[in-house]
Amino acid sequence: MNLTTLFLVFAKFGCISFGGGFVLVPILIAEMVEKRQVISMEVFGNLVSIAQVTPGPIGINSATYIGYLQGGIPGGVIASLGLIFPSLVLGPLAFYSIARWKDSLLVSGMLKGIRPASLALVFFAMFLFMGMSVFTAQIPFHALIDLVKTGSASIPADFRISWGGLGICAAVMLLMWKTKLSSTALILLSAAAGALLCR
Amino acid sequence: MPEISYWKKLWVLFYTFAKIAALVVGGGYAILPVVEETFSKKNNWLTSEELLDMMGLVQTVPGIIACNSAIYVGRRVAGFGGILAAAFGVCLPSVLIILVIAMFFPDLDPKNPWLLGAFRGVRACVTALVTMTAFRMAKKVLKSWFEYVIALIALVLVLLLKVEPVYVILGAMPIGVLYAWYQLGKKALPARDGAEK
Repeated sequence: MNLTTLFLVFAKFGCISFGGGFVLVPILIAEMVEKRQVISMEVFGNLVSIAQVTPGPIGINSATYIGYLQGGIPGGVIASLGLIFPSLVLGPLAFYSIARWKDSLLVSGMLKGIRPASLALVFFAMFLFMGMSVFTAQIPFHALIDLVKTGSASIPADFRISWGGLGICAAVMLLMWKTKLSSTALILLSAAAGALLCR
Repeated sequence: MPEISYWKKLWVLFYTFAKIAALVVGGGYAILPVVEETFSKKNNWLTSEELLDMMGLVQTVPGIIACNSAIYVGRRVAGFGGILAAAFGVCLPSVLIILVIAMFFPDLDPKNPWLLGAFRGVRACVTALVTMTAFRMAKKVLKSWFEYVIALIALVLVLLLKVEPVYVILGAMPIGVLYAWYQLGKKALPARDGAEK
């Protein structure tokens, strides 16, 4: 990907991600892992993990990293600029018009549609991450389609439960529910637990 | 309060948002307390109502939440120059930190088993974080049958039929407008019935 493509692709992401980091994750996977294949699913998962422990927004962190892989330091800067460009240009306009016309049919209707669709993307991100941690491979949802079409389906042999991952995931949820530990503390604990349990 | 010059304002915007981005891990909503502290309590540049408005608006406008907050505050405080100062402040630390990491670890695909295990552990933790976010969002978003149907259809499209997320988001907009229109018609009906009687 050259710098112009990089800028345009990330500007597109900047236009369609409503509601923050985790909505952007499946959008990035669809474009960068599946369509353009510039980064593997495994590396992308590690990238999001790093973006979680380093300060700053996940979107900027992933854009900088993917941009760097494609075009060095200029690539990293251009990709981040691309991501924030729509907000810089449209942001003030959008703030004004949404505040002004939030009760109008067009704006309230669009938001009504966007919100549940963005929610679906967060659930999609959840399944993708399960495939990188709780299971040893991506959940074979295509088997479900085969089951409907042909009446039989086979689950790939490399798809198993990763007990270490499942245990850590469950433990973190319990800690989030019962304690007030920050997400940074949870991530560092998980890294230590993973190094011991998931080798 | 002593009058602060325009350039001084730009510097405070840039510096504060750079500090937020450099210190606050996890992004999004974590930045709000710091924004309140600096711009509302210390400098009186934003009222608490404006802050509340901001919290709602930054989620409905496309883009990154932290960056949108910077743009909102920057515009209020110093117009277009403020937008640029705050937005670059929010991006600069992340870009620098990630560039350094990327230079030393160009492929995040370690061979060391301890490191591999640590990454798997962090991914498991991220899975938990995403799951909690997903259900917290679901509680806020799923208000009627309409939201359930749209969310379910969107999920089937991206998960099973591998439709690109872009098209799902773009497609949801006109459907939302149609539904709002339909609801408006339904609300108007009883009034019309009343008039005929």
